[in-house]
Amino acid sequence: MTSLTINGTPIDVAPGTTILDAARALGETIPTLCFDERQDPFGACRVCMVGVEGAPGPLPACTTQVREGMVVDTRDPTARRVADAVVELVLSELPEPPASHTELAAVARQLDVTDTRWPGRVHERDHDERHPYLALRHELCISCGRCVRACDEVQGTFALTATGRGFDANIAAGMDQGFQASACVSCGACADTCPTGAITEMSLLDLAPEPLHEVTT
Amino acid sequence: MSKNLVELIRRHHEQGAPTALEVLKAAMDDHGTITDDDRRVAAERSGLPEATVYGVSTFYDDLVHPRGRRHVRVCTGTACFAATGDAHVDQVREGLGLQLGERSADGETSLAETVCLGLCHSSPAVRVGDVIDAGPGVVERVLAGTERTAPEPDPVSLLPEPVLTVPGGWEGLRAALDRNDPEATLEDVKAAQVRGRGGAGFPAGMKWQFARAAKGEHKFIVANGDEGDPGSYIDKWLMERNPALLLEGMAIAGFVVGADHGFVLCRSEYPLSKPALDAAAAQAREAGLLGENILGSGFSFDVTIIEGAGSYVVGEETALLASIQGLRGTVSARPPFPAERGVHGMPTVVNNVETLCNVPFIASRGVDAYRDLSPGATPGSKLVCFNERFAKPGLYEVPFGMTMRELCEDVAGGLVDGHELKALQIGGPLGGILPASKLDTPFDFDALAAEGCMVGHGGIVGFDETTDMRELARHLLHFGASESCGKCFPCRIGLQRAHEMFAADDPVDRQRLEELLETLELGSLCAHGGGMPAPIRSLLAHWPDELGLAVA
Amino acid sequence: MSDARFDTTVTTTCGYCGVGCRLEAHARGGKIAAISPALDGPANLGHTCVKGRFAHQFTRSRERLTAPLIKENGEFRVATWEEAIDRVASELLRIKGQHGPDAIAGLASSRATNEDCFVMSRLMRAAIGTNNLDNCSRVCHSPTSYALRKSFGLSGATGSFADIDRADAAIIIGANPTAAHPVAGARIKQAALRGMKLVTIDPRRIELAEYGVLHLAPRPGTNAAVMLGLAHVVQRDGLIDRAFIESRTEGFEAASALMEDYTPADVERISGVPAADIERAAHIYAEAGEACLIWGLGVTEHKYGSEVVQLICNLALMTGKVGRPGSALLPLRGQNNVQGSSDMGALPDTYSDYRPVSDEATARAFEERWGVPLSREKGYTIPQMFDAAVAGDLKAMYIFGEDPAQTDPNTSHVIEALESLEFLVCQDIFETETTKYADVILPAAAFLEKQGTFTNAERRVQLVMPAIDPPGGAKTDFEILTTVSKALGHDMGYSDPEDVLAEIAALTPSFAGITYERLGRTGLQWPVAADGTDSPILYRERFELPGGKGRFATLPYRPPGSEATEEFPLILVTGRRLEHYNAGTMTRRTANIELLPNEVLEIHPDDAARLWISDGDLVSVRSPYGRIEVEARVTDRIEPGNVFTAFHFPEVRTNLLIGPSADVNTSCPEYKVMAVDVRPVSEEPARTPALAAGD
Repeated sequence: MTSLTINGTPIDVAPGTTILDAARALGETIPTLCFDERQDPFGACRVCMVGVEGAPGPLPACTTQVREGMVVDTRDPTARRVADAVVELVLSELPEPPASHTELAAVARQLDVTDTRWPGRVHERDHDERHPYLALRHELCISCGRCVRACDEVQGTFALTATGRGFDANIAAGMDQGFQASACVSCGACADTCPTGAITEMSLLDLAPEPLHEVTT
Repeated sequence: MSKNLVELIRRHHEQGAPTALEVLKAAMDDHGTITDDDRRVAAERSGLPEATVYGVSTFYDDLVHPRGRRHVRVCTGTACFAATGDAHVDQVREGLGLQLGERSADGETSLAETVCLGLCHSSPAVRVGDVIDAGPGVVERVLAGTERTAPEPDPVSLLPEPVLTVPGGWEGLRAALDRNDPEATLEDVKAAQVRGRGGAGFPAGMKWQFARAAKGEHKFIVANGDEGDPGSYIDKWLMERNPALLLEGMAIAGFVVGADHGFVLCRSEYPLSKPALDAAAAQAREAGLLGENILGSGFSFDVTIIEGAGSYVVGEETALLASIQGLRGTVSARPPFPAERGVHGMPTVVNNVETLCNVPFIASRGVDAYRDLSPGATPGSKLVCFNERFAKPGLYEVPFGMTMRELCEDVAGGLVDGHELKALQIGGPLGGILPASKLDTPFDFDALAAEGCMVGHGGIVGFDETTDMRELARHLLHFGASESCGKCFPCRIGLQRAHEMFAADDPVDRQRLEELLETLELGSLCAHGGGMPAPIRSLLAHWPDELGLAVA
Repeated sequence: MSDARFDTTVTTTCGYCGVGCRLEAHARGGKIAAISPALDGPANLGHTCVKGRFAHQFTRSRERLTAPLIKENGEFRVATWEEAIDRVASELLRIKGQHGPDAIAGLASSRATNEDCFVMSRLMRAAIGTNNLDNCSRVCHSPTSYALRKSFGLSGATGSFADIDRADAAIIIGANPTAAHPVAGARIKQAALRGMKLVTIDPRRIELAEYGVLHLAPRPGTNAAVMLGLAHVVQRDGLIDRAFIESRTEGFEAASALMEDYTPADVERISGVPAADIERAAHIYAEAGEACLIWGLGVTEHKYGSEVVQLICNLALMTGKVGRPGSALLPLRGQNNVQGSSDMGALPDTYSDYRPVSDEATARAFEERWGVPLSREKGYTIPQMFDAAVAGDLKAMYIFGEDPAQTDPNTSHVIEALESLEFLVCQDIFETETTKYADVILPAAAFLEKQGTFTNAERRVQLVMPAIDPPGGAKTDFEILTTVSKALGHDMGYSDPEDVLAEIAALTPSFAGITYERLGRTGLQWPVAADGTDSPILYRERFELPGGKGRFATLPYRPPGSEATEEFPLILVTGRRLEHYNAGTMTRRTANIELLPNEVLEIHPDDAARLWISDGDLVSVRSPYGRIEVEARVTDRIEPGNVFTAFHFPEVRTNLLIGPSADVNTSCPEYKVMAVDVRPVSEEPARTPALAAGD
């Protein structure tokens, strides 16, 4: 067993456990966006940053393994500053704020990041509603990779992929054919894990209530 | 990296399948675009799912830009920028009447941007098909259809005994095999403190040790020939003019680590690299220096040369491994490290080309001789290269520890045409920018780091007094944003925002910029986003008045 | 996903297949708004499939039965519950009075809860007085139940889905999990990608074959030969676990001698599987540290299906790969509660826990509790019910949640039987092919509208909780059955389904410790001891047979009930598809119909070419028992000589083609081997080329 402390509380975990899993075992919530407990950690969003005594900078809790005697501070100011800044950047790339029931909206509320000061380019609206159950709104995609990984690591159908590069990164089903024409078996694992509602159920599209915050620039 | 996709690739590789990237590249070479049928064929032949193949086809520059019969690629690297302020790009665009990434309606001509062609000594450079032309009159020649291959200078070694600039003779491999003590050779490499020459500076011996200890049915040596840093043409020369030395270094690494196969990933922007390496490998096999039972030692090692498809970030080691296997060149979180899980999930050593080229000397001449090359400084030698602004641009083999002034004025002969040196960017686009006032800084890892700069890849790009520092910021951030792999949020979104700050006409909010730089530095998944702030910080520190900052 | 878009969220268990995904059912405005997988569901671990996730629209289909219907002059008219119950009770009592209680039979729904099935058992046995009761496991895994009880003692998987994660190798035979048990199929696929060595055995090249190390495609009906061949190699190459055989089994000598006769060359001759592949498969299984055996209806729905399952058990006993983590025998139960309906005794010959109706002690215990005398005579199985109806001995049937006119074999015989009855009560959520013949139709609740428990394929009893109310005047099966019982003069006295569970626990040793509290969110795998300890792995120390030893079966290969002839030269294999569930009653009333709008017949390119059939052509498929028309799909995923189709669409009444051939021990129909003739519908017979074997 490896012993460490998180926010002053000691805990013993199996070697190889990540800081995030150790924190969850303690009931400490570290906000995340690209993490899903059903998948391997990905390390893309950088929202789960925490302070670790002796480390040169904040570390991502989801991909950092615990070490004997590690002292973790999930409220480290530098780590929080980076996490807040990332969430602000994410909000800035969406043409409209995320619906209040989404994980992204919940994380933004949790971090008290309610607006974004970045006026630049946003994703273009592109709705794919060809499938009877699954709707894909490309403009809400934040390239967290969870849908692609759900279709890979959970369902094993590999119907989804990341596309493009840099700010133009997005996702597609099959050869950008839409869910039904691709290998998709309509299991819905992608919609279940999507933190922004980019992939959501057709029947829930008109159920989303008004977002709680307006974006100010 | 997806464990499942890597496993699928491994299984199909065992059956002799090509990678999806290979098949897509071939389709592009054949008919200038990628169609859905091409993707289906690539999926079928490689064993990768169709969606995954689609994703690969949208990631790489070579696959995304349509090609006409005459495919013109204009270099937008930093050395070319330093030479013309990018005026040559506008001239080519206007001359051809095409936007970057556009193909003419009749399919005859196409234009794309490329970074970098490695002709920095003769900037600006333009590539038409596989002919790379550069220097005075290049734009006129290209527009007239009379482009010709630009000459490349021969390197000069300042060492009493050249190490990297002499043709590899395979003595190092012979010595290592005769000694027949991989542990001992490993100890030598560690004692020699060979630091990675690709930019990270990580001790090569440590990587070898981890890989040697790791468990795996197979192990691999990968040479990182994805020298995408604008201003750098060092690995280019090594791969194209001294390929045997690289192959020898790989074989020695294989012997130490227990690997039986190696890959060289060379960039597609260097079209001569793969043919040169393939020829050298064929020759080496003939001579019994590669292949089964090398020199009767019982050790077998062979290589596969793989050409990239146009992505800078593929120079990051996990992205490199993804690309070798035919996947999108995105960065993976570590652990697991390549030494544990790399190609096909097997232990893999990834070393820069120049780093591996250092190894034969150590194996044949020993650690002390290697240390003596740079007495009192980092052991070994370094190849550096200068851009067209200098009077004597080209490749030089130097010891560590010389000052930048000695290098720029004595070795490279100062700037041409009476220009004044304003600043230097050393080591690549993620390197800090050194003002002329700091030229007495020694060229070595710690000394440059103290000035917010780095040794990096060893490319030295000089800017003269005509360079506008705000334009330079915009240029660097454009490069950073367009080469971002798109996986981690700080880099994917942050570099876009940073570029927007400088691309717009508005004043730049310094505080917001500093916050963004901190986010990039501390939050990015790899050194691309993490390193981009360094040059911007240098600009803020030394030329704040030129950046158009908002008045507080 | 508890959020402001929904009024309530209820955790329940899926009502589609035997995986038993735990689901979060979100309701809004009295309708199901969405369903998401429960992260802590032991069988599904936060995943589910298109059916559990999305196919819930049927609950609010306009076609839902919402009022009782009584047939008058050949037409159905709406009636009140009072009138309908009164009609049912009076007719059943009349027939009972005139012809005796055994003139009445019941068909319990394997999709209804344990409590519903237990109540049905009490209705038939106590209120009416007959053991004529069966459920649809008859037509799917009854051979498994028979064989597992004979070889090991208990009628259920020996381990859990979690054993797949711990296995080094696995053999899947006669199952296509990625289509019929998608969440289990996904789990197997992930294990295979992680390095579990998967061997697939199926006439079709199923999806999982792409991820396995070896695929065998035996001729339909030759599974026994393949299993005997594997056993032969294991024995020949010294891969048996002698210590295990000696200490924990009996009957090996005879079985061992018989195995000698099935060399790989012999098996190749019989089955068409290359001898080298038999060798390899045997070694993969036997040399693995832990290995699972997984099978489905491609094993059971055969004339000797029960024997093949016994041969599967033999393989595990020979190598000791049973009763340990990672080495499990997992029959993939089809329906969401087919395990439970049989566990509850909705069977003609057993009470709950598979105790024979003739067993004095058991019968007395039930008599004491139910307060009436109970018959010790075995009742009719489903096929016997239809035979008896046609013969005039069976006068009435009570069928709930089952559509034999579409799903049972030999459809014309089934219809004749239903038409012969004097009185037929159907209790269902939609009108079906079967309800056409009813005299009274009672509108019932779907799984999202009721309370109780389901038992999945790994013996896990899980809670079912209603998320919405049944529509209109529809009632839960529990309410309907107890009301009918009361009208028949036998007031069961339960106040709610939890009450029923308490009685089940009191009367059923395997359920002794089961309470709602203990079931919680993750259920319990029976047997559950009185203190609540459950059983993820069976047979760790002993088998549940007298003497505690597992039993080898000595059974030779015998040919199937149907073989290709000159007149019927192709073999039809039937099965399932991902997007629809069985009769399609529920899924055809959801947008799944957009995903898969019609049925197709899969045919190999060589056969298609010879018969002048192109992809998309309408073809006629004819057997000695019937004829259907269906669209052809030319594919090399099937072996030449075989064709495949499913049974989800009443327009393509596949089971018309299936005859009376059935498992020799359990009467499970031989759905998987039927010799047929296939030809383009537009072709004149004279122009069709000769189909003799020599061509």
